[in-house]
Amino acid sequence: MSKIKVIACSGIGKAFGLMAREAVLKVTNELNPQEAETACLAHIITGDDEGKEKVADQICITVDGCPALCSAKSVESESGIVKAKFRVVDEMRNHRGAKAGTGTTLTEDGWKITDELAEKISAKITELVEEAKSNA
Amino acid sequence: MPDVRIGVLSCSGEECLGGTVARLATRKVMEELREGTTVSLCLPLYVAGGEEERNFAKEHSVISVDGCSKSCARKATERFSGDVSDTIVISDILGEDVALGKTVSARDLTEEHYIMVDKVAEEICKKVDKIAAE
Repeated sequence: MSKIKVIACSGIGKAFGLMAREAVLKVTNELNPQEAETACLAHIITGDDEGKEKVADQICITVDGCPALCSAKSVESESGIVKAKFRVVDEMRNHRGAKAGTGTTLTEDGWKITDELAEKISAKITELVEEAKSNA
Repeated sequence: MPDVRIGVLSCSGEECLGGTVARLATRKVMEELREGTTVSLCLPLYVAGGEEERNFAKEHSVISVDGCSKSCARKATERFSGDVSDTIVISDILGEDVALGKTVSARDLTEEHYIMVDKVAEEICKKVDKIAAE
């Protein structure tokens, strides 16, 4: 099984995009580096065939900041097999009133929520890997 | 400074340091150095069909800021809204080895990274000022 692709929107306008980006970096660099890797969304959606091939027919997890779901929609449109779609906006509902920061820096709350999201993504990766093993 | 609104479209690439620097430099220009003159455009939303972003880029000058020579931000602008007014490619400024280095989390940024961000932000500002003066 090739590594699961975990792709963030990295939206630049608000904290949610940064949180999506940071959660994915934590997963691919620290929590699940053997099982998962990220791919550059900009290259997937605007680049050449090499960019599209990163996700086409690959197991993917998308992480979006807002309900526009840019990562999920873009990966699906390039034939990625999206097994899970995470949204920062959903995580924020569990932390009513929390101030996460900006598109540049996160607050302590922002990092805490980001780390919680990373753990959820990591758990999903473990589940998908186990599923693949049992189907092998 | 005249009342000019200039869009800055960063790639925010996740696979290399250039994407991180592009993103941070764009944010710095928008929030601090040319606040009120510049607007950051969200590339994923822009490509996914965000009408507000695309219309802005059709009606205003746009500077693309790309982490590497693949120039995804520039290509996206040209595809959906026409020519960009100017471009920045981080690898041209910092060198390909640096730009294509491993991406870093915002919590692991060092003084060296912030110097890179300042250098790129300065280049963006030069282009913003040039467009504003036209």
